[in-house]
Amino acid sequence: MSVVCEMAAPFVANSAVDGGEVILPFRSHTAACLKCQARHAVMSRTARELVAMQDQRIAAPADLEWRVLSSLEGDLELARTWRTPVALSAAVLSMAAAIVIWRLRPRTS
Amino acid sequence: MSNQSGSSPVENQRELDLISRAQNGDRAAFAALVREHQDEVYTLARRLVGDPHLAADVAQEALIRAWRALPKFRGDAKFSTWIYRITVNTSWTHKKRAGRHQATPIEEHTQVAAPVDARHPEVAGEILELRARLRHAVDSLPDAQREVVVLKDIYGWSHAEIADSMGITVTAAKVRLHRARARLARDLEESA
Repeated sequence: MSVVCEMAAPFVANSAVDGGEVILPFRSHTAACLKCQARHAVMSRTARELVAMQDQRIAAPADLEWRVLSSLEGDLELARTWRTPVALSAAVLSMAAAIVIWRLRPRTS
Repeated sequence: MSNQSGSSPVENQRELDLISRAQNGDRAAFAALVREHQDEVYTLARRLVGDPHLAADVAQEALIRAWRALPKFRGDAKFSTWIYRITVNTSWTHKKRAGRHQATPIEEHTQVAAPVDARHPEVAGEILELRARLRHAVDSLPDAQREVVVLKDIYGWSHAEIADSMGITVTAAKVRLHRARARLARDLEESA
């Protein structure tokens, strides 16, 4: 009997959580088995309480908003004042470096 | 994904207005959205990663990612659903970086609890006790199992959504869920 209970356990749990019936091969067993019915009752109650947990909130750290907004400030600051000049300077520098390397290359003749 | 916290049409309109302004670069509007959703985002992060400091980092990065992705938000899903998805993805990224963390019990930080029936104090007491045991049991689950229980049984995600988000198969998600539920039931029985 307990082997059947263990085999039925996931289906009993699914039925308890989703509110549907236990699938057919285990339905008659579950209807007659006190152990499975007790599991079903515990799981239904647990499922209800798990769903209720969605409405429970844990307070975010007091400085979270400040951390987010100051990061955004850095983000925008970088975007507006640094990104373009840094990219242009890097392009100019690499062109200059390429010219210097080309001019200073060893010549055979 | 279901979101069971209902909001009035006026609140929805106000939120849509804030989103639209934030999409146009209004940071004050985005700050208002952050204030409104930071507890939800932090709660989800805390439930997924366990560690409070890591959860704060996850929440911070999720909100920053939300700001950057805001122009792409078209309103097909609710804003809270959209931001939950960002939080879940950010949690996976941070967990990979940080390695495994020991979960910390969360009950002492709970600010707003779902209401219990005050007309029957003995039932209310029993429910509160069950909730405390349940929170502890969820927190004690191994990471992989806790993540599935949190997303499926608390936030109402489908198996397919969970599998997609975690990069596992639907069958693996179902197996993890079954193991998690079995362990929850056992832990609750033992602690009763």
